[in-house]
Amino acid sequence: MNDILDALLRALAFGTPLLLASLGAIVNERAGVVNLGVEGMMALGALAGFAVAYGGGMGGNLWLAVLAAMLVGAVAALLHAFVTITLRANQFVSGLSLTLLGLGLSGLLGKKFEGFPLFNQPPQWPFTVGAIVLAVVLGGVLQFTRVGLTLRSVGENPAAADVLGLNVGLVRYAAVAVGGALAGLAGAYLSLVYRPSWTDGMTAGLGWIAVALVIFVGWSPLRAVFGSVFFGLLYYLQFRLQGQSPVPTEVFSAMPYVLVIVVLGIAGLRGQQGAAPEALGQPYTRGER
Amino acid sequence: MKASTPSKKSLTLALALGAGVAAVASTLNPAQAQTGSAKLKACFVYVGPRGDIGWTYAHDQARQAAEKALPWLETKYVESVQEGQALPAIDRLVADKCQVIFTTSFGYMDDTLAAAKKYPNVIFAHAAGYKRAPNMATYMADFYQIYYLNGLVAGALTKSGKVGFVGTFPIPELKRHLSAFALGVKAANPKAVVDVKWLNSWFDPAKTREASEALLSQGDDVLSSAEDSATGVQTAAARKVPTFSHYNSMYKFSPDYVVAGHIAHWDKIYIDFLTKVHSGTYTAKNLANVDYWSLMNTGAVESGADAGVAVNPKWVPQLKAAKMTVAGKTVSVYDRLMALTADMKSPKPTFDPFMGPIKDRNGIVRVPAGKVASVAELNSMGWIAPGVVGAVADEPKK
Repeated sequence: MNDILDALLRALAFGTPLLLASLGAIVNERAGVVNLGVEGMMALGALAGFAVAYGGGMGGNLWLAVLAAMLVGAVAALLHAFVTITLRANQFVSGLSLTLLGLGLSGLLGKKFEGFPLFNQPPQWPFTVGAIVLAVVLGGVLQFTRVGLTLRSVGENPAAADVLGLNVGLVRYAAVAVGGALAGLAGAYLSLVYRPSWTDGMTAGLGWIAVALVIFVGWSPLRAVFGSVFFGLLYYLQFRLQGQSPVPTEVFSAMPYVLVIVVLGIAGLRGQQGAAPEALGQPYTRGER
Repeated sequence: MKASTPSKKSLTLALALGAGVAAVASTLNPAQAQTGSAKLKACFVYVGPRGDIGWTYAHDQARQAAEKALPWLETKYVESVQEGQALPAIDRLVADKCQVIFTTSFGYMDDTLAAAKKYPNVIFAHAAGYKRAPNMATYMADFYQIYYLNGLVAGALTKSGKVGFVGTFPIPELKRHLSAFALGVKAANPKAVVDVKWLNSWFDPAKTREASEALLSQGDDVLSSAEDSATGVQTAAARKVPTFSHYNSMYKFSPDYVVAGHIAHWDKIYIDFLTKVHSGTYTAKNLANVDYWSLMNTGAVESGADAGVAVNPKWVPQLKAAKMTVAGKTVSVYDRLMALTADMKSPKPTFDPFMGPIKDRNGIVRVPAGKVASVAELNSMGWIAPGVVGAVADEPKK
């Protein structure tokens, strides 16, 4: 019993940044914009959060640190928004570049913060509980409110939304910024709560798991809660069961990616694109179809 | 992980930009350009980021120390180079006129050997491996003695009788350290065991966090981590469990729970090696037998929670209270620790953790009575000492 509780708590701890980042990605993808820059935005957020919280060794304001991480994430995302929405560049290429940029820049600017512990760290539960509440609220907003409807129609059929008088570009800009802010928040969780310290490359692929998670949960915020806990559980179990299970633990660590491929495969067999928004990944140009 | 490749590329880009700026700056400053001409250029290939606080950090601190100590030395590095991808990095460094190239991870061994054949006039030195060539030396600041000492500490402090060990890759180096650690634990506490979990990664803080948590939830109450970040120490501290510094002082990450540990001083090796290259003692023709197998008596490694602090004073009373049997006599673990530390630091140590008779955990004799495991045996170690619980890859059956 104790083991199960332990595993669940670890799944929540590891799943929190996955949930935060994937909720952000769900928002921008529901508006039709893919952002593969999650890993880079997370790294930038982690650095910004740590830098402010560290405060030159004197200890800074923790809530200010969280805010800074979200702001930096949002600004990085706006770069992606400008390139893909205004300049109509390929979203996948721009997102990958953002990951490169975010990892490189955070590594470069973060040199002077390496090797220091953070003693004034915030507790974990506001992040975990907050992320779950946010998922529920976001699920409701997408399903039942005018804002949600606006967001979805821009992601499903931007031309129709345009005809209805919605500002497609503006909605997409806002959605991408929210996505970046949440990725930044996920980064802050890593550097303030989970580690808590800063090292170059400390996101270690978590952003990519979050990207995979979005597809796995079919763009649903509520399912993302279960998805992130499930991925967290798999991650923890690869170590907990190591040496104690006949199944090689590599199976557990590969599972998130395997599951995503399986889900996409099933969707493909059914002859549909899964639950992906219709216009996902396509730049919108007025008057074109 | 997918992410490390982009990270590396962008860092390379940033470094290239930095190098460009530096080149412009040096042409603008003729005085600097002149002194640069007669310099020896030594370059380093790192497996992790410089700031990992573990292995790569220790090498980079040593690089900087060497540059400070040797006015004729010029250095350069590439970081986060994946194992198996060292050759392109070396090609670039050779093109950049590096005369001496240090490759600082076990997994670079074959790439370094291939590079040594490809560039016969460049001097190579590979850390943690055992293959050499006329222009390729090997070096290692090894911790197996200190792992034994840390094992004594862990054995004395565990109440549950279960000690956790987070391993990186199950290669000979890690098996040697794990086994030495387990032999120490057993010496201080014959009933205790060492639980091991493998990461299959040199640097991955998230994996370290969860592997450590898994060990703690199994009931382990002392934790040792071989991963190159302070995450193992931080996790142990958060759960109020004694732990050890790893490659560098990690004391500041937890002044309460870092009890002992090991600290590397790679600069001892780098300065000596580079000085001999500079004076012409070492050339690209006579390195086939040059191996710096540096233990505690060379000063290249130190046993301690912090530089100059062998044991965290907060834990000394507990170690003094813990008793163990040595050659039929009862002594305190603390006294044994101090006696062995003094012996290992002396020019000719009389004690070695791998002094026979030693059987592996399957009951097969690995070091006969009256013998000490040779450096070659230690470098190719596949077996695991008794007391280790958990799967270990490539463990010989016979």
